[in-house]
Amino acid sequence: MLRSLVRPSAVAAAVPRAAWTATQTSSFSTSHAALAKPDNSKQGRKVVSQNQGRGGGAAPKKPAAGERKALRKRIQLSNSNALPVPGLEDARKNDLAKPENIGLVLSIPGQVQDQLRAVEAFKATQFWHLFRNASTLVRAETVDMVQRMEAAAANKQTLRLVYDGPRISGKSLMLLQSMTHGFLNDWIVINVPEAQELTTAVTEYAPIPGTSPTQYMQNNYCLKLIKAIRASNEKLLARLTTAHSHPELPQNIPINSTLLQLTNAAKEPEGAWLVFNALWKELMQPKGQVRPPVLFCLDGLAQVMRVSDYRSAAFELIHAHDLALVRLFVDALSGASAFPGGGVVLAATSRNNSPAAPSMDLALNQRLAQIAGAAEVPQRDPFFRGYDERVLAALPTVHVRRLGGMTKAETRSLLWYYEQSGLLRQKLDEATVAEKWTLGGHGIIGEMEKASLLTMRL
Amino acid sequence: MMASSRQPLTAALRCVRPSTRGQWLLPLEHGFRALRLYDSPCDGRRHLSFESNSSPSRGWEGFEKAANIKAAPEIDLSVPTDPILDIPHLRALPASPSCFSKTPFFNDLVLRFERLLRSYGNLPTLPPSEVERVAWKTSKDYKMWTGEIVKASEFGRCVMIMKRLHQIHPDLKPMVVVKAIEPFKREVQAFANVPTPITIDRFGRALGVGRRKSSVARAWVVEGTGEVQINGKVLSDYFGRMHDRSSAVWALHATARLDKYNVWALVDGGGTTGQAEALTLAIAKGLVAHEPALKTPLRKAGCITRDPRRVERKKTGHVKARKMPAWVKR
Repeated sequence: MLRSLVRPSAVAAAVPRAAWTATQTSSFSTSHAALAKPDNSKQGRKVVSQNQGRGGGAAPKKPAAGERKALRKRIQLSNSNALPVPGLEDARKNDLAKPENIGLVLSIPGQVQDQLRAVEAFKATQFWHLFRNASTLVRAETVDMVQRMEAAAANKQTLRLVYDGPRISGKSLMLLQSMTHGFLNDWIVINVPEAQELTTAVTEYAPIPGTSPTQYMQNNYCLKLIKAIRASNEKLLARLTTAHSHPELPQNIPINSTLLQLTNAAKEPEGAWLVFNALWKELMQPKGQVRPPVLFCLDGLAQVMRVSDYRSAAFELIHAHDLALVRLFVDALSGASAFPGGGVVLAATSRNNSPAAPSMDLALNQRLAQIAGAAEVPQRDPFFRGYDERVLAALPTVHVRRLGGMTKAETRSLLWYYEQSGLLRQKLDEATVAEKWTLGGHGIIGEMEKASLLTMRL
Repeated sequence: MMASSRQPLTAALRCVRPSTRGQWLLPLEHGFRALRLYDSPCDGRRHLSFESNSSPSRGWEGFEKAANIKAAPEIDLSVPTDPILDIPHLRALPASPSCFSKTPFFNDLVLRFERLLRSYGNLPTLPPSEVERVAWKTSKDYKMWTGEIVKASEFGRCVMIMKRLHQIHPDLKPMVVVKAIEPFKREVQAFANVPTPITIDRFGRALGVGRRKSSVARAWVVEGTGEVQINGKVLSDYFGRMHDRSSAVWALHATARLDKYNVWALVDGGGTTGQAEALTLAIAKGLVAHEPALKTPLRKAGCITRDPRRVERKKTGHVKARKMPAWVKR
């Protein structure tokens, strides 16, 4: 600030009178003292809190730490204001595999709901909170997927499947339905509900000693995953026994102890990766006790098909495939590892908050063209050099399904469910079905929910 | 007009011509028949005159012909005439029954149309909805045409008769009536400007064009199952707002045809609301091409009339179109 531009009157007003008179006698120059900050400790203006209102009442209580997030992420699976749907049945063991059930809405049994909740299969953005009970529509795609799952389990093979499709077309719901089938049929279900939690540098990581190239473990996430596996598959894990001793674990787990005991070894983040790795080895164990089929799901595939946000010790970005947990999934998806008791590796892409993944898109489109038997398979763009060879190598044999809209019959069934729940304020006829189907972008399930549930004039 | 034409008129009444120019005394009737209206090139007014070099407007000439007003026959000079004994009437008999009224030609016209109606009024007519729509001349047009001032109400009565004559079935309408009516039709007929009907091409597509604000939409409507694609995208992808989706397919929804047609559309310009409402009109037009009977319900649903409102222009001295700057004390 230029001193010459300061008005003398302003300076005089800002400086307390006592300071002014004190410096006047002692110093030759007055400007230093005049420009020094006035001492607000005693005479300064009282700072009024912004939270305090005009009336001077107490500030409103702020929500506790994590309270808002808990509210945001809350999953509500029933609503007593909704009408119970007459004739709605619980899904049983093979219901999702029966073609005659296409177009039927089935309720998810209470125990399975708990298991699904434990593995975070429900999402806060889905409309579970509007209905009396969590129920799901059996689509033709559901039956197709579940039949493939059954075939893989029967043949002790590993089905590797990726679901792609437009926004809110029900890709995550397909994962949920596969997990429902898995829980109903005593599969071991492992679910990564949001792949971005693994690669966006929000969870702790550390290099695994003795690996070359260096792999990274994510102990906190592993612990969370083990807890989810334990909570959801407890009975099954109690039945299965270990085939190896695991000397690397902090706790001694003798051979023939249950897998539940093995998972119980992970109590703290330290060593959680080791426990998870041990569990994985046990599930991959080809000899000895017959392992049940395993379902490994991951939502948001593009997040693990890129270079992660983590940095190495040399401050270089770490490829997502160098994260050990991701590595397990990618190996299973690419076919490098297979479940001895049969199983399914299932992934869904996401259209929300998804990074650009040109390599993944190319690989999926190539697979789609190959599966459809198209004359021309999409080729690499010769002028683009951002392709990721590791990603392209992971996906060439995977099975890809593109999810689209529902048929009119399925739409009718879904709207019937809405109507019976008291949520459709319209007469349900062909005209209504046609309207919702068109407004919902040719039967895109999420758009139809918007068209019929969010536009209610209550 | 009357003042300036008084001299020849009195001359006619006196049955004489100016002594300087003519030597023959004409009968009174001849005198009246020889009177002509002509436009003076000097002052632009109309005059009555015996002169034949006047140049009345073509339309009026034609009307004269149609009105059967004839000039007096040529005088046979070979037969000597007794100027007194040869006068057929002692009182002059004007050619027009409305000679002494203020607006003689219009009166003649009315009488003539009345006569035509008396003669042909019993012919079968078309129902009003099927009669060819015609824009008639107004009393103002008539004044411009003839220079004769007619009350609007009187002219309206005349037009009523014309309209009634016009209603006669075209196959039976006599040529006299057609010719009598013809000059009273306006030269520019807005009703003749009929839009080209939308056709359905060999693929079953009807192309409708709609506009709203600054958006233009072209919609190809085909029979189908209710699929809608706009600029290559599904309806829900193109319009994020549910209201826009509804208004885009409103024409199909309002007529319960949503599951009967497919729409493939191209939209350009404007914002989302404009584009959605332009689509309403475009789809409605395509739909009417398929089912013309739907035009009335679509009009009731508001899908036929183009909303002409645009952004109002900004004016000088205003902050926006109408907003004025804030008042400032000095």
